[in-house]
Amino acid sequence: MSTIQLASGIAVVNILLLGLLTTVWVRNYRKFRTSLLLGLVAFGSVMLAENVVAIYFFFSMKMLYSGDPTVQQAVLVLRGLQLVAIAFLTWVTMK
Amino acid sequence: MDKALWYLLTATRGGENRARLIRELSERPRNANQLADALDVRYKTVRHHLDMLEDHGVVEPGDNEYGKLYFLTDQFEQHREAFEEIMEHIE
Repeated sequence: MSTIQLASGIAVVNILLLGLLTTVWVRNYRKFRTSLLLGLVAFGSVMLAENVVAIYFFFSMKMLYSGDPTVQQAVLVLRGLQLVAIAFLTWVTMK
Repeated sequence: MDKALWYLLTATRGGENRARLIRELSERPRNANQLADALDVRYKTVRHHLDMLEDHGVVEPGDNEYGKLYFLTDQFEQHREAFEEIMEHIE
């Protein structure tokens, strides 16, 4: 599997986790109409969009990425770090 | 504690039940079984929420082992205002 395929795989996992988080926050917003939840819903939505855009770039700019393995690895590390961050947030939110 | 309380009670999956559980305990101390009945949720769920709230210093168990009663902590009472504000936001 290429580095970029791996990175887009991680972006898909990020999207699933963010979908889960945003669902919890939207559901809770219906109960508790607070600005904290509005902020969290906005945060989750923007992060969702960011990951969708990332996947779009992986496929539409394959040529650009394929030229440089260092860039590919950097992209993979960044996606991976974001996965770790989102996983922690999911853990504390679902408990 | 305010921010943690807000996240714990409004932004997590079990937040609403935890808030309802605190409201029950505000009336009088109860054990896990009574809380499960009052909230109409499973005993295991109540146990989980009580453990979470105990970890966060919101509730504490009384002394007797059998049918252990749970109390709200003094630390929580100092943040009672934040809790009341949260409850006002319930639709």
